[in-house]
Amino acid sequence: MSGFHSTALISKNAKIGMNVSIGAYSIIYDDVEIGDNTVIGNNSVIYNGARIGNNVRILNFASVAHIPQDKKFHNEYSLLYIGDNSIIGNFTTLHRGTEATGKTVIGENVIVSHYSHIAHDCLIGNSVYIGSMVQIGGHVEIDEFSVIKDFTQIHQFCRVGKYVTLEISYKITMDIPPYIYVSQKPLRFMDLNFELFNNHNFSQEKVKSINDVYSILYFSGLNFSQAKEKIKNTFPDNPVAKELLEFIEKSSRGIIGK
Amino acid sequence: MVSIHPTALVSNKAKLGENVSIGPFTIIHDDVEIGDNTIITSHSVIYDGTRIGKNCKIYQGVSISHLPQISKISQVSSFVKIGDGTTIHEFVTIHKASKDGNYTSIGNNVLLMAYSHIAHDVFIGDNCIIVNAVQIGGHVHIDDWAIIGGSTPVHQFCMVGKHAMVGGGFKVVKDVPPFVLAGEEPLKFNGLNSVGLRRRGFTSEQLETLKKVYKLIYDSGLNVSQAKAKIIEDFPSDPLAKEVVDFIDKSKRGIIPR
Repeated sequence: MSGFHSTALISKNAKIGMNVSIGAYSIIYDDVEIGDNTVIGNNSVIYNGARIGNNVRILNFASVAHIPQDKKFHNEYSLLYIGDNSIIGNFTTLHRGTEATGKTVIGENVIVSHYSHIAHDCLIGNSVYIGSMVQIGGHVEIDEFSVIKDFTQIHQFCRVGKYVTLEISYKITMDIPPYIYVSQKPLRFMDLNFELFNNHNFSQEKVKSINDVYSILYFSGLNFSQAKEKIKNTFPDNPVAKELLEFIEKSSRGIIGK
Repeated sequence: MVSIHPTALVSNKAKLGENVSIGPFTIIHDDVEIGDNTIITSHSVIYDGTRIGKNCKIYQGVSISHLPQISKISQVSSFVKIGDGTTIHEFVTIHKASKDGNYTSIGNNVLLMAYSHIAHDVFIGDNCIIVNAVQIGGHVHIDDWAIIGGSTPVHQFCMVGKHAMVGGGFKVVKDVPPFVLAGEEPLKFNGLNSVGLRRRGFTSEQLETLKKVYKLIYDSGLNVSQAKAKIIEDFPSDPLAKEVVDFIDKSKRGIIPR
């Protein structure tokens, strides 16, 4: 079903693609772009600065591209991108960027479940799953294919690598390197994320190289800077090692321990 | 000039100040007073008994002065008072007091972030920050300049003192004294909130006094009532020490341990 409900308030200046459907009492502001075949539910509000891709489903009562909850924000121009095929759940709040980066980005095929909050300047990679009631602070980066389950809080400026799984109701206050499964309070490395490796058909060699690199990081008894050196020397041209070293290099809050 | 969107339902009996702006699909009940220059955006409902100050900003889907979540109550003529310059983000719920004529009170320049819940009979002082998804129980007293971190529930009847800061993702089940940081589970004293205090113009001498006061309470081997007597003896005329002593006197649930 496509079409606009008669009670929806849709600005004439908004750029809306083909076959877009907009539900009752929803509001679309002026500076909004919506791609083809996107569905927007009831009572949702799409504020200025939203750039929504194709085939996106936004459910009821969502607040998309609202102004950041940042005391330094002074109404500067900024954007919020939602990639193609993403699903945005009920009562979610997605805030646009501040002048620090100018944009909040949600990738393609992302699922954001109900009551979740994505703050200003976040970068959410492709195919990330975000469970319900997950509260994500400003400037957080989550890389592709990671799974953040319900009730988790993420501190501002934290980074989560790709293929990470986090169980429900934990708190992220440090950076989580890619390919691992994390749990416990305080959050720590539990295992490699074999479940996602299976789901994404990782080759035996790739799993083995991940295993080799991470056993130096977490099981060699070395501290992180020594382990970094050892990984650099032992695996000079292993792509997994390179990814991990880059991740640690960029980490401003430190990475989680074992 | 008052601007009311044609789709908003605003009672004739509601008292709106100058330049008040009411967004689409918002409902304003009869017994409501809204101060000058306050902005209420879309989809909010302001129930009977609300008193909103000047220059407030109330965003999407907010519910103010709804009935308290107490099973016996089906009707009560109590109030919600919101001070000047307060900002209330998406989907915040503020409930009115549980007894006729009483107030749930929120101070000036308070920031209530998305999804936070303020229950019946709560008092929130000026310049407080209540971060995302903080759930505040009935009769809670939060004093000026306090900050409650994201997703932290506050048990009913708890108190949080002036300039205190509670970390995100913890649980407040006892009283948090003024000027301190609180974190960990179960919630503990984590030192003085010296960064916050310096930002607000406290001098080094004042911080030194507070350090000594909290050393007596938490690091002297005395129990709280002995420490209180010692503080009164050592700092007979110091206003900050008096603030701490008064807080301990008022505390019914006991203060957080070390």
